Amino acid sequence: MSRRERLVRKILGTATLCAAALPLSILIFMLILARPLLSSFSVSDLLTGSWAPLQGRYGILPMMVASFLLASCSLAVSFPVSLGCAGLIFGLTPPMLAVPLRRLVQLMTGFPTVVYGFVGVFLLVPTVRHLFHAGSGRCLLSALVPLSLMITPTMTLFFSDAFAAVPRPILLAAAAAGADPVQRFVWVVIPSARRGLAAGLVLSFGRALGDTLIALMLAGNAAQVPSGFLESARTLTAHIALVIAADLQSLEFASIFLCGMVLYVLTSCAALCAWKMRAATRKNSR
Amino acid sequence: MDPVVKIRVEGLTFRYGARTVLREVSALFLEGALAAIVGPSGRGKSTFLMALNRLWEEVPGAHAQGRVWVRLDGRERLVSDPSFPATELRRRVAMVFQAPNPLRMSIFNNVAFPLKVMGQRNKRLVAQEVEGALRRAFLWDEVKDRLDEDARRLSGGQQQRLCIARALAAQPDVLLLDEPTSSLDARAAGVIEDLLLTLKRRCTLVVVSHYLEQVERLADQVYEVAHETLEILS
Repeated sequence: MSRRERLVRKILGTATLCAAALPLSILIFMLILARPLLSSFSVSDLLTGSWAPLQGRYGILPMMVASFLLASCSLAVSFPVSLGCAGLIFGLTPPMLAVPLRRLVQLMTGFPTVVYGFVGVFLLVPTVRHLFHAGSGRCLLSALVPLSLMITPTMTLFFSDAFAAVPRPILLAAAAAGADPVQRFVWVVIPSARRGLAAGLVLSFGRALGDTLIALMLAGNAAQVPSGFLESARTLTAHIALVIAADLQSLEFASIFLCGMVLYVLTSCAALCAWKMRAATRKNSR
Repeated sequence: MDPVVKIRVEGLTFRYGARTVLREVSALFLEGALAAIVGPSGRGKSTFLMALNRLWEEVPGAHAQGRVWVRLDGRERLVSDPSFPATELRRRVAMVFQAPNPLRMSIFNNVAFPLKVMGQRNKRLVAQEVEGALRRAFLWDEVKDRLDEDARRLSGGQQQRLCIARALAAQPDVLLLDEPTSSLDARAAGVIEDLLLTLKRRCTLVVVSHYLEQVERLADQVYEVAHETLEILS
């Protein structure tokens, strides 16, 4: 190995180490900043208790439940839509329709979240208020619809990639056996791409969990465990956005780092699962 | 008695994008015979097979012109006839590829796949057909105790016979085979050759082959692909 190559290796190695150390340092940073709260209360109290800072309760359970509920439900809504869209892009529709559809989906992934939030505030919230007589109209349902719409393009693209990774000889074999395009899609493509689909689901879950603006603008932000979709709720991300302006020395301020750590761990787990599943898909398609 | 023409090809021209692979090809294939197509690589032998069951429609950029008739149920059917669904044509004119391509499912489900797409729900009948197809493909004795195993765990030769069994499951009239022994060792290739000779009694076979010795052993008709056309050798 020449001297120059050794130098390049060292530079790239250092860059890799720095990149790996950065997320870890964020976790440590959050741990340090959440210490006032962690030293005053037990972790189980914080993770299972209610949020009432005036009464000295700093539990983040309502936010965790709201985040999980909103992300899971939006995933359940957007899954069939994304599967259908990805199927159409994959070949259930002629290329003259599939290509523009893919372009549209790609374009939609680029829309800023605030656009969905505004559409929700001006169109959805009044509709929910009139239809269901649900207070201000800011509730889980009002956040669920735009959030599902927001993650659908991302999920569609993940699914499209999973379908595109299905080996061509298998598709030809199914066609040669007399299967029509729908039969091929349902019986051959989806089972072959199931790991990629699962990875897409997990990554989209991470995206839904991490969204801030839609929940902040539309879900109502009441720090309570929601008992229905017409109830106001506050997600972990919305909680961070709301409390960030609090006194830096307060325990409320420290709670946002606890929320950050919960989100960090959950999204890291999701990313790890997706990475494992995608690696297995690639290995399988060879 | 005059031999019956099973497949008639007239003026078949085939293009991939702007590249013409076959030009104005005409050919006749006889019922119950094994026809071999020989010729150098990349000259359109496999393409020709795909034109016989419209599988080329699944290949992006492919374009075919010309007419192909297949005699089915006593009458000639034009394969490009819009009223003749490609799915039905492909069940009657089945195809086996150069590299074994088992579907990602069990051995049983692989062979049952054409029956499933035909809408056959009778489990007993499906089991019978699967056993029959596996027996005709000389594979039953090797897999009868592991039908639920993933088909990809079979050896290369077994996988290719599985693909032949899958092609036979829907009782096709014609079987197209694209270099079925090229990815196999001599022993496995020998088994497939014996199988082809047996199958000839049941259906018409069109086999693309690189091996002239194999062609001499097996074929009743030999065509050679040369200069974008098909010439009869014997």
